[in-house]
Amino acid sequence: MDRRTFVGTSLGASALLALGKCPGVHAMPFSVPTEVPYDLVAVRGGEPDVMFDRGISALGGMGTFVKKGQKVVIKPNIGWDVTPERAGNTHPKLISRIITQCYEAGAKEVYVFDHTCDNWQRTYKTSGIESAAKNAGGKIAPGHAESYYHDVTIPSGTSLTAAKEHELILESDVFINVPILKSHSSSMLTMSLKNLMGVVWDRGAWHSNDLHQCIADYASYRKPTLNVLDAYYVMKRNGPRGVSVEDVVTMKAQLLSTDMVTMDVAGAKLFGIEPNSIRHVQLAAERNVGRKDLEKLNIKRIAL
Amino acid sequence: MDLKRLKGIRVGVSLLFLGVFGFLFLDVGNIVPPALTNVLVSLQIVPALTKSIVSVGIWSGGAAVVLLLTLAFGRVYCSSICPLGTLQDVVIRFAQKWNRRRRFRFTPPRYVLHYALLGLALALFLAGSLVLLNLLEPFSNFGRMIQGIVRPVVVGANNGIAEVTGWFGFYGLYRIPFRPIDPVIVAMPVLFLGLLAYLSYNHGRLFCNLLCPAGALLGLVSRVSLFRIVVDKSTCMECGLCERVCKAGCIDSDNMKIEFSACVSCFNCIKACPTIGLKYEGLFGKRSGSIVPGADEGRRRIILGSLAPIALLAGTSIDSVSKGPVRKREEHPVTPPGSQSILHFSGHCTACHLCVSQCPTQVLSPSFLDYGIGGIFQPRMDYHASYCNYDCNICGTVCPTGAILAVPLADKRLIQMGKAQFVKDDCIVITKKTDCGACSEHCPTKAVYMIPHEKLFLPEVNNDICVGCGACEHSCPTKPRKAIYVESNPLHLKAQKPQIKKLEQPTEKATDFPF
Repeated sequence: MDRRTFVGTSLGASALLALGKCPGVHAMPFSVPTEVPYDLVAVRGGEPDVMFDRGISALGGMGTFVKKGQKVVIKPNIGWDVTPERAGNTHPKLISRIITQCYEAGAKEVYVFDHTCDNWQRTYKTSGIESAAKNAGGKIAPGHAESYYHDVTIPSGTSLTAAKEHELILESDVFINVPILKSHSSSMLTMSLKNLMGVVWDRGAWHSNDLHQCIADYASYRKPTLNVLDAYYVMKRNGPRGVSVEDVVTMKAQLLSTDMVTMDVAGAKLFGIEPNSIRHVQLAAERNVGRKDLEKLNIKRIAL
Repeated sequence: MDLKRLKGIRVGVSLLFLGVFGFLFLDVGNIVPPALTNVLVSLQIVPALTKSIVSVGIWSGGAAVVLLLTLAFGRVYCSSICPLGTLQDVVIRFAQKWNRRRRFRFTPPRYVLHYALLGLALALFLAGSLVLLNLLEPFSNFGRMIQGIVRPVVVGANNGIAEVTGWFGFYGLYRIPFRPIDPVIVAMPVLFLGLLAYLSYNHGRLFCNLLCPAGALLGLVSRVSLFRIVVDKSTCMECGLCERVCKAGCIDSDNMKIEFSACVSCFNCIKACPTIGLKYEGLFGKRSGSIVPGADEGRRRIILGSLAPIALLAGTSIDSVSKGPVRKREEHPVTPPGSQSILHFSGHCTACHLCVSQCPTQVLSPSFLDYGIGGIFQPRMDYHASYCNYDCNICGTVCPTGAILAVPLADKRLIQMGKAQFVKDDCIVITKKTDCGACSEHCPTKAVYMIPHEKLFLPEVNNDICVGCGACEHSCPTKPRKAIYVESNPLHLKAQKPQIKKLEQPTEKATDFPF
């Protein structure tokens, strides 16, 4: 080892030792607005960004969720190294529009990240989300290394009692959950409840420890400020990754809600699956994570 | 041109190449386009020649450039292009700095040993065993050092800085996950570096003139170089300075002779000469210098000497892949897409680990003896570490030796490196009676798909469309044994394309709400 490498190693090692724990980590719940005009807003027939504009104004505008000077984290699905037409990831136009709206509402910073399945640098790029987010002024954050995640306990959990959450979830004021609606070989469908799996580190533990129960457990502990379900392109089979563009239908729909259960029940119906057949949605409803009785809820339907 | 400027140019060029080649092995984010990497590494003579044997291409141009340079001016490669050569120069520089009295002396080159090693390496290569080539080839040794020693240090430093910038919400620098470090994989380049440092500190470029196969090969070519450095007896003052600065030890100032085939073209002598006593002279000009004597005798001994051990080592080459360290389940290592077969891969890979450095998913991992002694250090697909990205073909594009051939993406997606094997009794769905499906989730072709099983869903594998990427194995959460794993195809096969059925677009109006 020459002098330079020695100095490099020592610096790196001492830095790592000194900074072992990231300061300022508090597992605080997000403040979810209770006084929203609708339990669910459903939009159809427009482009992802246009539908979001209409949907969010029906919910009282972005100002209902984002206050001046707040730090926002957006969690799309960026799981796979596929293009937007393959519907494996949230539509980039939607992400870009949400970021813009956040800044217009006075957000200080808006971060975007996902704990991806395929290589994160490739999925961020291929999904179109990296460039869309950057163009809108959003900050792209990585989620591929364990050191970004910090221990939290989930007292309400039965199968899942502890997890490691991404530091942006722990440090932000506002959490916007932006899943895409698609078929899923493990959980039947992936929507807002399942999308939260991308903010924790050890997903294998969920898979090996009753996946549906873990999804419900985590949702009983962590509720996003707002959920936006992208159903513009919808992968009808071979999910969550998909094999080709032939797995995809163009549905041009979008759901917005503060209630993940309500959203996922509506999402399942939109997809064409009986919501009660999805066990994690059932379990979450039983746990009072949200309401699934759509007929009793106040729903705004917007056709463009 | 003023020949005294040659040394300065050589130093500049060699540092540039050292930086460039070093960076290629540290390029975590694939900043250098793989196609450019392919062109750059074609200047590395042994890998480029190996690849040219497999097929002729742009890399053959690189090999030709180096050979022609050598044919014209001697072993320019050794002092300017070879990063391992420059690394030795760095050590030599420190040696001189710390010990000012150190001077080099003329040492008659040990041609017999050097050429015998080259002959042996070549014979083993032809017999399918790369053990000697992999241990001695300079570019590969350089690569393994950067990958094995420098990279962890750089990653550690990067992560330290990224940690601090992360506090301020700046994620432009990101943390790079550490590979699990295999002590043997790291120890070997450390040992080699120790040997190299020892040799260069005490004996200058002895490695290049005793052990290096590229040095031997180019030394042979430089015997017929058109221009060579000679002592100009009319201007030489017989001060002996040139001999004292010659790190190859090839200048015999007493006899005013230069062993040109041992000369690494560093031009130190020309620069150091107080007059212009050393010069480049055409082969057909007046011979005031000396050309190696007694070469024929040496050659005869080489041929005899190199024959005996071949039989010994060659026998342990390819066969040992199958008989070698057999795992519990995976009998053979999985080789990267484009490597055609274990035989082709192991017969051509000099283990430079450029693919290991450049692989975006880091699934390619160095191995020690997984391919037997003949395939020492050659990388394998490690599905515990990661899995092969379906839409990536970087390893084949950058491979300098042709062990992994460049394959267009459309063809790469159909290469079957191995086949997924499902062990039902180990699966979560059976053992814990809960849904899982991680394997099918990650499968890019849906070769692993879910079928109903007692109110749950159980994986099933269609090996016709499996490409052996290892996504299922990597994501399988069972411990310690995976319930699904990839069994290597020793000979890569062609997978069938996934059947794609047309999907009906929704007929309902875009304004309908089913709730």
